[in-house]
Amino acid sequence: MKVLSKAKLETVLNTLNENTEVFVPMQKGVQSGYFTWKSFENGKDELMLDVLNVYHSPKNVVLPQTEKMYGIKSKGVEVNIDKTYEDNHPTLIFGARGCDVKGILAMDDVFLTRGYEDSFYKARRSNNIIIANACYNPGPNCFCNAMEVNPVDPVGADVIIRDAGDVYIWEAKSEKGEAITAQIASLLEEKDAKSPESKPFKQNVDYTGVAEKLKGMFEHPFWNKISEPCSNCGMCTYVCPSCYCFDIQVKMWGDEGYRFRAWDSCMYEEYSREAGGGNPRGAGKERFRNRFLHKLEFYKERYGTPLCTGCGRCIVVCPNDINIVKIIDAVKEAE
Amino acid sequence: MSDHKCTCSEQPLVPTVVEVIDIIDRTPDVKSFFVRNVDGNGVPFQVAPGQCAMISHLPIGESMISCTWQEEQEHLEFAIKRVGLMTDELHQIEVGQKIGVRGPYGNGFPTEACKGKDMVFIAGGIGLAPLRSFIKYCFKHREDYGKITILYGSRSKADLCFKEEILDLWPKEPNTEVFVTIDNAEAEWDGHVGFVPSYLEELNPSSNGAIAVVCGPPIMIKFVLQSLEKMGYNDEQVITTLEMRMKCGIGKCGRCNIGSEFICLDGPVYYLKQLRDLPPEW
Repeated sequence: MKVLSKAKLETVLNTLNENTEVFVPMQKGVQSGYFTWKSFENGKDELMLDVLNVYHSPKNVVLPQTEKMYGIKSKGVEVNIDKTYEDNHPTLIFGARGCDVKGILAMDDVFLTRGYEDSFYKARRSNNIIIANACYNPGPNCFCNAMEVNPVDPVGADVIIRDAGDVYIWEAKSEKGEAITAQIASLLEEKDAKSPESKPFKQNVDYTGVAEKLKGMFEHPFWNKISEPCSNCGMCTYVCPSCYCFDIQVKMWGDEGYRFRAWDSCMYEEYSREAGGGNPRGAGKERFRNRFLHKLEFYKERYGTPLCTGCGRCIVVCPNDINIVKIIDAVKEAE
Repeated sequence: MSDHKCTCSEQPLVPTVVEVIDIIDRTPDVKSFFVRNVDGNGVPFQVAPGQCAMISHLPIGESMISCTWQEEQEHLEFAIKRVGLMTDELHQIEVGQKIGVRGPYGNGFPTEACKGKDMVFIAGGIGLAPLRSFIKYCFKHREDYGKITILYGSRSKADLCFKEEILDLWPKEPNTEVFVTIDNAEAEWDGHVGFVPSYLEELNPSSNGAIAVVCGPPIMIKFVLQSLEKMGYNDEQVITTLEMRMKCGIGKCGRCNIGSEFICLDGPVYYLKQLRDLPPEW
């Protein structure tokens, strides 16, 4: 089998980085997330391939937090759209976990199916490669196994690497993955190595039947109690690997400017507030309910799989101890 | 509801620039904007009754607006009420202004399935705008539809949209009755006074072989639906068209969902029977 010696990891990242923008999980100052390898500062930043779930998911690679859409020139009655900003420069996510890969696959369904292909997303995603890092030792908040994710063999990865001590076992899973493998062939070795043994999940989550049961629970009183601690801060949507909602806004300087999109959050009152003042989800509870139903029921009804990938980030960042696992449990227990 | 046919360009979020060729004051706060291609030839896309388009006042913002009428290959018409930032700015533009449009969006009214039926159109305020495209479609294909009953209400006489049509032109159409009401009595008004739902029950158009199409402010829709139920209309005989805040118009940006439906893409037109299966957020 092909293996990548950990001693050669930086050389591999440098090689891949020659013609591709490579994103790697790292600690950068107080932030952890998928930052560009180009920005990595030796002695200051720290690679976090061994750590589960850095703070930010890699969704920004295919859906940047803000993204220019098109340029506008406007003078008097004359208006022009002078250029559009589809960006298809090659990108590579190195070391994504299965939950985060699933998050990107969920966004593929949203942005590339159901009648319309989003040209901005399509441009970025078409030239994007994912090298996934198989998980064998689930973290304290991990429950991807309950959310249709295979942590040791994630669907959607172009290459899967498996940590086998001094080496990563390297396995190409797609044509794109084969091409990347060929590009760094001289840095890989043929060698036997043993995959780690899978440790048990610490969280015991059973999602079976939850989507179906939720369909009849829209007006169930349990939403009142369970949503009470929520302050609608939006942290959960920010760190979620599959939250994709966006806003479209315009920025003008005099006669010139551009329209852009930016991450939005269903937790905010303005998100669904209409110009006339109406808001179908004006109350915090209604927004809370909509978010969890989207994750656990609505998305599954539409696309056949839950929108929660079991990464556990929202559990960690919530300032009010709201826990999606406890919500799933409460749904199971509700009468 | 999800079998959307793609009629869009390869860049669905990028508008086409069109020219505003005419602007008409419909009420003190509603204007009709007529647009066509900047080269003077035709329209950027064909719109079916009940479909919408995203209208961009490019330096300001975008809003989803129902297309109130399309004269094929001539122009598109959008009747727009001044309610927020973008529509306020739009109300200040003049003829000749270039704006952006993208679309058409949504499923539109089931014009085929309604053939052979008596049609009862019930609208309040600017809610007549989307229904008007269906009403005019019925008049254009008059032999395909039975009796047409139109009930329209607004706050005051001044707020009645499309006055010439509702008061003068439509009542002259064959086998058509038009009823108009305003909320409060006025010196200049000798017509009916009162709210739409109670007037509807008073008129009591037969539910036999009829389809009711309803659009207006949420509170009016709520009470009209109750009235229709009382009058014997079942959930498969009632159609309404919804609105929610929208940004993308193509089922991506997230905010216009009701349950797993996206109103921009799967709606905005629903039979009441379909709405009964959705969470009560409409």
